[in-house]
Amino acid sequence: MTSLDTNEVITARKAYYAGLAGEADKGRSVWFPIAVLALLLALPALQFTGNYNYLIHLVLFTASYVVMASGWNILGGFAGYISLGHNVFFAIGGYFAGMIFARYGISTIILAPLAGLVAAVFGYVIGLITLRVRGPSFIISSLALVMIFKILFDNWDFVGGSNGLSLPANDLPVQWAKLPYYYAFVVMAAFTVWASYRIRHSKFGLGLRAISKDEIKSESAGINTRFYKVLAFAISAFFVGMAGAVWGEYLTYIRPNIFLIILVSVNMVLMCILGGKGTVAGPVIGAILLVVFNEFFVATLGASEINIFATGMIMMLCLMFFPLGIVGTLARLKKLPRILNWD
Amino acid sequence: MGEIIQIVILGLALGGVYALMGSGLSLVFGVMRIVNLAHPSLIMGGAYVAYWGFKLYGVDPLIMLPVAVVILAATAVILYKLVFEREARSAKYSEMTVLLTFALAMVVEGALGTAFTNTQRVTSPDYATDAFFIGDVFIPKGQLYAGMVSLAIIGALALFLKYSRFGYAIRATTQNREAAELLGVNVNLVGLVSFAIGIGLAGAAGSLVSFVFSFYPSKHWEWIAILMSLVVLGGMGSILGTVLASLILSVIAAFVGTYFGATWSTLTFFVALFVVLMVRPQGLFGEKPELA
Repeated sequence: MTSLDTNEVITARKAYYAGLAGEADKGRSVWFPIAVLALLLALPALQFTGNYNYLIHLVLFTASYVVMASGWNILGGFAGYISLGHNVFFAIGGYFAGMIFARYGISTIILAPLAGLVAAVFGYVIGLITLRVRGPSFIISSLALVMIFKILFDNWDFVGGSNGLSLPANDLPVQWAKLPYYYAFVVMAAFTVWASYRIRHSKFGLGLRAISKDEIKSESAGINTRFYKVLAFAISAFFVGMAGAVWGEYLTYIRPNIFLIILVSVNMVLMCILGGKGTVAGPVIGAILLVVFNEFFVATLGASEINIFATGMIMMLCLMFFPLGIVGTLARLKKLPRILNWD
Repeated sequence: MGEIIQIVILGLALGGVYALMGSGLSLVFGVMRIVNLAHPSLIMGGAYVAYWGFKLYGVDPLIMLPVAVVILAATAVILYKLVFEREARSAKYSEMTVLLTFALAMVVEGALGTAFTNTQRVTSPDYATDAFFIGDVFIPKGQLYAGMVSLAIIGALALFLKYSRFGYAIRATTQNREAAELLGVNVNLVGLVSFAIGIGLAGAAGSLVSFVFSFYPSKHWEWIAILMSLVVLGGMGSILGTVLASLILSVIAAFVGTYFGATWSTLTFFVALFVVLMVRPQGLFGEKPELA
């Protein structure tokens, strides 16, 4: 009779998992995201050859949504708590950094991490309250939150009420004026995607995914679900708040109508659903696709009403026929190209 | 004292309209477990039916009401067949439908906005700007008529649910879908009909709203939260609860609006929604805590 030593079993299991992880790593092309990042960092060199401000704006816009959608994905994708109110943190980040910038002239790019932390604190507190309910109730409570914050910001005279506040523009020549924000957003996007990868591969991320599958079972398996969820809420608020901080200075004004419109939060949700929520690459692909769609609709049809119609239509079709999103569906069919396998 | 009576009367009249707006939402949730975030945008559709009926042909919105009901109910049948029937098999059904109806709301908003632009409109029959006076207290005719018509419609709905054979089937499905199916209720048909009735009520509410509030397509976001607050406070699925909640909240909102300013009166609804969801998610009369 062989005696089983617990330590031996544990070592064997560890070796087995390390082997599995090594196999997964072999299938992963790390060079691809790095190459994309390098390309994006070099992109502004085009400005030497002509005026590519529009292209720069588009990449910047996409990068800002990559930050927000990936941030949203940590709560909505990994933990499965769909929030339609994440633009509240966009507004908190934007107003916090924007007010300090207006008063003391400290650039919002420096303030962004701090603004993210402020948003995270708000997220933690709000999460403590709202994460007591789940499913439809949570979604509706997040909508109520946006409405409440909209009215509060609209009537808070200190931050300019509904007219908002205009911020000084930087004094760089037009050709280079967008670049600080461009680099800020590209770096933030890279950081967010990296962080989202690390979270997905941590014990914390595993816990979140367990919660999204079955919260009661994961709680009985010993996961502190309440703490996990609230922490996920705070982390996702951090990223969204960080994006909001720089966004205000880039537009040179902050106003409730920029941050607290429903389209912003819908975009975050839709990007994740379109790309594949709960995956690392999903929000990135969703953001790229949606920004391209939006530009296409605005350029060809011109009206924002059509844009709303089309966004809603894409979302409906996606939810009905494509609930796993692009990355999720391809992965299920085992046809996901290696360069998109970031999980 | 006169002032307080005045505020209460204004609140109750408005509450009557809100009750009709919310009861369709509540009915649809009760039977089909759909949190229909598109309901307010469909109310907006009903408002446009009444508006154009009045504007183009001079038909009174109260007479346009049945027309709006029919148009919206027909829309509901199409939507049900196209979208919701197939969704009923999905695992995370009720969470899924929230997102789906949210997207539907955007589609409706975009379609209405494209067709009619985002300018503020209001139907203006004579009584909309007229009022009765009883002593010091004035009662705006528009709001009074709208409130009374809406309470009459809800009364008729309640009688239908309580005494008709089909009403039994609807209530049975609300209480327990599987058991109703086992006893021979065609739950799919019940779902279809109650969805059509619910959205038809949105049409009715729309034509009343058209002369009570000014409206534009993107206003429905504000109504979503207001209506959700009524339905959640009343207990999802309970129509009586919705009516009581609308009357209570509207009166409170009227007081808040008078003493603190109009912006804060809407905040009453939003804060109520938030607090009720957190403290008592089943609302006043709800029995099913499963939503929590």
